[in-house]
Amino acid sequence: MTDFALTTPSVLLLLPLALLPLVVSAQRPQSYPSIDDLEIDPLSVALDWALRIAGAIAIAALILGIGGLHRLGRTIEKTGEGAHMVLLIDRSSSMDNTFAGRAPEGGEESKSAAARRLLKDFILRRDHDLLGVAAFSTSPMHVLPMTDHKGAVVAAIDAMDRSGLAFTNVGRGLALALDMQEADTSPAARVILLVSDGAAVIDRKVQETLRAAFARRPINLYWLFLRTEGTPGISTVPGPGEEDTPQAMPERHLDKFFKSLGTSYRAFEAENPEAVAEAIAEISKLERSPITYHERIPHDDLKARCFAVALAALLVLLAARLAEVRLVPATEET
Amino acid sequence: MTARAKTAAPLPVDLPYRIVWKSRALRQGAHRSVQSGAGGMFRDLATLIEYNDPRRIDLRQSLRDPFETLYVRRFEEKSQIGVAMLLDVSGSMGFHGAARKMALAAELAQVFATAVRRAGDTFALYAADDTVREGLSVLPTRSRAGEADMVAALRAFVPARRGAAGLIDAARRVGRKRNLVLVVSDFLLPEDQLEALFEVLSGHDVVPIRIADSRESAALPSWGLVELADLETGRRRLVAMRPALRAEWQRRYEARRSFFRRLAARYGREPFEITDAIAWDRLGAHLAAGA
Repeated sequence: MTDFALTTPSVLLLLPLALLPLVVSAQRPQSYPSIDDLEIDPLSVALDWALRIAGAIAIAALILGIGGLHRLGRTIEKTGEGAHMVLLIDRSSSMDNTFAGRAPEGGEESKSAAARRLLKDFILRRDHDLLGVAAFSTSPMHVLPMTDHKGAVVAAIDAMDRSGLAFTNVGRGLALALDMQEADTSPAARVILLVSDGAAVIDRKVQETLRAAFARRPINLYWLFLRTEGTPGISTVPGPGEEDTPQAMPERHLDKFFKSLGTSYRAFEAENPEAVAEAIAEISKLERSPITYHERIPHDDLKARCFAVALAALLVLLAARLAEVRLVPATEET
Repeated sequence: MTARAKTAAPLPVDLPYRIVWKSRALRQGAHRSVQSGAGGMFRDLATLIEYNDPRRIDLRQSLRDPFETLYVRRFEEKSQIGVAMLLDVSGSMGFHGAARKMALAAELAQVFATAVRRAGDTFALYAADDTVREGLSVLPTRSRAGEADMVAALRAFVPARRGAAGLIDAARRVGRKRNLVLVVSDFLLPEDQLEALFEVLSGHDVVPIRIADSRESAALPSWGLVELADLETGRRRLVAMRPALRAEWQRRYEARRSFFRRLAARYGREPFEITDAIAWDRLGAHLAAGA
């Protein structure tokens, strides 16, 4: 344990003063004709040393307290199960509707509220994940960089409570999520969890960029598709006569694009909160690869404890002082 | 006399002392002596030839003698004696409890010096700690000249040295002639030194005067922490005083005292003990008893 440190190390020069009580007694000496032939009393000797040591402790603790003793904050590397995950959340206005596709009223829960609730549960259950949050609608928003602060992530997800914006621009959102993953160089498993209630056409040029990015390193991609009742799903095959174009069926084509990336990819289609919960549980089960994570131990100020120790030692000395009796009452001394 | 403002009784001007032995001194004084002379108690008859003093011819005895020898009455001459005070000024005499031991010793010296001068005897003071302190000592004298200086020096003296081994040397200085020797000390000497001291003084009439203080034994606190500093060695010791320890200390103190009393009784007079204040009338009675 070498991580103790002082704010003002120069006070250590005073530390030899702590030896003073071992040499000099704090009690007032009282002359006595002869103590040599009086037997040594073990209790008195023990008490004497206890008081001397208390004095030394008091001085040492005060000096360390004045010097600002603290333990340095540090990070410990640990291994656990988890992944580095970017939550990419759709903030388009349709997320504020219920799964039935209308504005929530009464006890109904909007898609975003359900997703938020379940994601928060999910995050809190995953101890060692490194999480980042990004949102997208018309343009992507960098909400929170990769962090292990669960509180910050939960707060970031709560912040999604604001009413959504107009469009869904999946491509740029994904690019942002990839960027966030790119910045992280550890060998942990990488996950992008895309939560959205619809898809959009991804620009051809953006598609190429994404394809290149996904090819560079393996990233597990999960698409949690919050499907509104009655809208086309991921696996909806166009009927005869219907157009099979990304513009007409963006979900199907996005899915096809993801599958073509050659990365590990799974889509979950959820039409109610229960299905969302199941999907999240499934993801949680899948992402169990070993991960090295850093645990931060915060800077620990030991000043107060030093002063508390000094106070305790001084109280002992004070008690001894109050217990002192004089052979000759002070009033008679000249 | 501000120093002794606390002691209520004024110092006595005279302190009678008596001896049961006979002085061999030629000089006239107030004590019984082996010298024959004019005054004092009748001792015996001697022939005029033996004792050539026709003024004291005992007519009755001379007439009764069939051989017509002339007899002369002989009387005991009163002689002086030497009085010496051996004063322990070792560190332990610096104790200041209920009274200052050194102040008591100075009072004793003052009163004895006066009393001895008035009785016409010589007074000597030998002060000693580990050696004889020449500065405090007074050679045998009948004069009052140095008296005030002696008392002042004793009052001002702060004992510091350890051990009272010098008392034995001082005792040798008293001389061979039988003296009345007052040994004033707290008698906290090691037992062998104490024995040696009494051995050296065995030719004298020794009156041990022990100065004790109630605060060093009887009036010790029952409870509490006391940091004691030995007056002689300077050593310190923290003592957690409690009734059991106090009783133990008092037991030891008494054991020491009784050893001293036994020793004193073997070599001479019973010791006179002073605790906190000098009871002058008791001291006078003690000295007048002579034994």
